[in-house]
This record gives sequence, structure tokens and C-alpha cells, in this order.
Amino acid sequence: MATNTIPTRTAVTAARSIRSGGRSSGRATKFLPFWLLLPAILILLAVQVYPTLYSLWLSVNRIKGGELIFVGLQNFDTLFKDLNFGRSLNRTFTFAALYLVFTVGIGLLLAVLLNRRVKFTGFYLVLIFIPWVISDVVAGTIWRWMFQQSYGILQYWLQPLSDRSLLVNPTTAMGIVVAGSVWRALAFTTILFLGALQTVPVEVVESAAMDGAGGWQSFLRISFPIIRPTFLVAVLLTSIRAINSVGMILSIMGTTGGAGNATMTTALYMLNSVMRDGNLGQAAATSVILFAFNLVLTFIYLRLATRRDTV
Amino acid sequence: MVRSRATALREVFSTHTILGIFAVICILPVLYTLATSFKPLGEVRSNPPLFFPTTWTLQPYNQVITSNLIRYHIPNSLINSLGSSVLTVIVAGLAGYAFSRYKFRGSGALQLTILGLMMIPGLTNLIPIYKIASDLGLLASSPHGLMIAIYTAGGLPFSIWIIKSFFDAIPFEIEEAALIDGCSPVQALYYIVVPLAGPGLLAGFLLMFVDTWNEFLAAVLLLNRETDKVATVGLYAFQNSFEIQYNVWMAACIVIMIPVVVLFLVMRRTFFQAMLQGALKG
Repeated sequence: MATNTIPTRTAVTAARSIRSGGRSSGRATKFLPFWLLLPAILILLAVQVYPTLYSLWLSVNRIKGGELIFVGLQNFDTLFKDLNFGRSLNRTFTFAALYLVFTVGIGLLLAVLLNRRVKFTGFYLVLIFIPWVISDVVAGTIWRWMFQQSYGILQYWLQPLSDRSLLVNPTTAMGIVVAGSVWRALAFTTILFLGALQTVPVEVVESAAMDGAGGWQSFLRISFPIIRPTFLVAVLLTSIRAINSVGMILSIMGTTGGAGNATMTTALYMLNSVMRDGNLGQAAATSVILFAFNLVLTFIYLRLATRRDTV
Repeated sequence: MVRSRATALREVFSTHTILGIFAVICILPVLYTLATSFKPLGEVRSNPPLFFPTTWTLQPYNQVITSNLIRYHIPNSLINSLGSSVLTVIVAGLAGYAFSRYKFRGSGALQLTILGLMMIPGLTNLIPIYKIASDLGLLASSPHGLMIAIYTAGGLPFSIWIIKSFFDAIPFEIEEAALIDGCSPVQALYYIVVPLAGPGLLAGFLLMFVDTWNEFLAAVLLLNRETDKVATVGLYAFQNSFEIQYNVWMAACIVIMIPVVVLFLVMRRTFFQAMLQGALKG
């Protein structure tokens, strides 16, 4: 697959040193990076940064007849008093934990296997990528159909486990939503890990095997430390995606999250605040709380990622 | 080698078995969807359910083709996805190039800030955008422009990050030679770097196209008029009109899948090559 030569670290560093030393000529060049960055910065300021700040402001307001009325922390107060909000947080954590473990775990397993470079690797990779190409809503529709009460094929195959549709039972409903989401997300972690594993020098692994290191041992001692940065990125991106994901859950279980609101996660709770209740202030407050979780995750990630550099 | 032939063979065998099982798990639901989409309604409701139809019919597709999905929703999806993907690759390409090739004050901090924007949940921005857009009447006047702006802004941080790492993988000497031979930086970018970075830019385009084609949340929140809706929202609405006609529903799923699956299959070599070589090395 890899036909081009991969530039080595030294080549890149050499290029960098040329670049910093050899090109300070001309006024046009000096301002070039600024002009190159300008479109991106303008778009991000207008459609990312400004709405986020506005969202913070909305979270301490109530909207009546299109007018904003400042209410302080009342939206947050209402949220914390609402039992359904607390339950939605629990469900988000359950969903995120299961989704993270399986997406990262299976993705890593598949990447290690694909990295053995057996025949048909490209073929397997294409098949694994098909679910990733399919949209959340399409995938959700398919999974819903497979578990349909009387006509769904997986429901029929799993009949020994349960006569009633597995979508009706809260525990299995969550299981199906997790399985469907992992199914769709697997390709991305697989390709991330595979890219990282290909940077592990084959000679080192082989000489470790000569010295008698088993498969597991050589993976943990040699490969894993090298792919650790990618592993952390994958964990971060996957957990953030888990916390914010809605489409799949919505299209399998509907806006209420099925019987007993089994899959009503916080993101879905927020969507209901907007679409069912039209309560933008409360929705904004919910989104601020989700944002805070993302920030905590990012902070933990940065701590872990920088700790490695100092070692 | 220390390992015996038998162990090596066993390893190859177990590798194929596990990869094969997961490949089947990945593709089986899609095949089942395809099979269901050719079933007459009676067979959809057979108990026990059958995987393949006994009589094949195109009737479900007839119903999809005459629906609004084909008339409005898929063309809308195409406009929004192509518009935002092309725009994102151009804008992220310029920014990624600046970050990869120039050292300037605040470069690191700016990159970290842009990456930090990825941590903002999609819905956080959508709520104010929903309010601003309805206040300004943008939903009625320019639905495509609005969606393209939202998708571009949402996709930029990740695209800048990934395209920058594609540029990082291209040795600088080649451009340096062109610059010494009298190319202007812009000429060097156009004639040397863009062709070399082609696979990476195409990979960035594919990532964006798949994401925007499949996007649901912003679309369902913002697009209310039937003529403005996109494919994912149209499919979601199918749940109401074709609740029990799963064959029509699955035919709609297949029709929505076709553009992205074809694009992916056409670009897969370039895509995998770029993803495995250039990008994401920490």
C-alpha cells in the first residue's frame, strides 16, 4: 500500500532549519502566513467563537417573545432540580463508557491484526469502512429494522434470549444503541491506530521476538509506547463524540429514548429542550454543562499527553 | 526466525478468522438492507423473517424515486456537502500550509486554540445559530449558504489539523528548490505543493464530504421547509409516512448511501494512503 517513501524525522527537521533561516526576504513573504490564515480565522470567529460566547450568554437568560431576560443561574438551578436531567447524565456516562471501551478496544485489535500484513488486508479495510461512510440516521434506521418486534432478523436470531423486542427492554435498548454506534465508529479508530502502528520499526519487534518476547509482551513494551500519543488522541476524540452524539440514538429509539426513556442521554435531553419545549435558555445551559465535561476531558488529555514528553 | 512454521501458520489463520468475523459484522447489516429493499411488502412481514427475497421487486424504489427525497432532499444534500467540502479544503489548505511552512509568533498558541474549538459540542453553537438565523430570516432567504457556513466552520478545526500534518509529510526541499529558481511563494504553492499534497487534500475532502452528507442535527434543527430539507432529515421523516413499509424505507437508505459509498470506493486507495502515511502521527 505504501509506495512513496515516508520522510524521516531528520529530513523534516532539516527542512525546518532551512525554512527558519533562509527566508526572511521581502515584505510580501513576511505577511503571507497572515493572509493564508485570514479566511479560516474569520470563518471560525463568526460561526464558531461568536455563537459559543452567545450560547454562554443565553444560558443565563430566558427568552420571552424573542426578547432576552437575564435570569442569572436559574436555568442551571432548574436543570439540577429536574430528576430527568440527572438520569440523562447517568445514561450519557453509561453510553460514553461502553462506546469508548468497545470503539477503542476493537479498533486497536483490528489495527494490530491488519498490521500483520496478511493477504486481503485492503479488502478487510474497505469492508470495515463501509459502516463509517453510512450516515447516523441511515445506520440507526437499519439497526431499528433489524430489531423490529416481529419481522426484524436479529430479533429473530436472538429470540432464545428474549421473546419481546430487545428495543423495549431498557438494558438491551442501551446495548443496541451502543452496538450500533460502535459499529459505525470502528473504522475511524482502526485507521488511526493502523497509521500509528506502521511507524513502529519492524526490526525492533522482530529482534524482541528473537529475544523471546511474546506477542503481548512485545506489544505492551515496544508498540504501545510508540502509539501512545495516537491512543490518547483516539480516546479523547471518541469520548467527546460519545458525549455529543445524538443522531444514531434518535433514529433507533426516537426522540423520547424509548420505553422508560431508556436512551434519553443529555444531548437528546437538550435537543428536546429546543425542539419540543422551545426553551433555548435551558438548552444553552445544558450545552454549557456538556461543554464543561468536554473541557475536563481535554484537560486530562493534555496532562497525560504532556507528561509523556517530559519523561 | 525463531518461530516455527506451524506457529506462523496458526497466526495467519487466526488473523483471517478474526478479521473475517468483523468484516462480516460490518457488511451484513448493509447486505440485509439491500436485500430488504428488493422485497415486496408481504415478504417484509413474513415470520420467521427471511434474509433474501423470494420474489425480487423494484416497487420500493419506484416509491422512493417519486418521493421528495429524490426531488429535493438529495440535490440539497449534494449542494450543501460539495459546497462546504470544497470551501473547507481550500480554507483549511491555506491555513494548514501556513502552519506547516512558516514560523511566526503565536503559531503554536493559535493552532492549539483552533484545535480547542473541536471540543465545543455541535449543539452549543447550534442553539445561538438557530436564534440568530431565525432573527435574521436566513432560514428562508439562504438555507444553502447557512448550512455551508455552519458545516465549514464545524469542519475547519479538524481539517486544518489533518491537512497540516499532510503538508508536514512533504519534504520542504522541493519547494525550496523552486523558490531558489525564482518561483514566488504563491506559485510554489500552486505548482509544487498542491500537486504533491493532492492525496492529502483529497482525503480531507472525503472526510468532510462524508461528515456533511451524514450530518443530521443542524439540518433537522434549522431546515423546516420541505424544499430545503436534506437527505438525512428526509429519511427521518420517512419514519412517519412509511412506518410499516420497511422495504421502502430500506430502499431510501440504499439511495442515500449510494453517493458516499461510490465516492469512498473510487477514492479509497488515495484516502488510505494519505491517512496511513501523512497524517495523525501524534
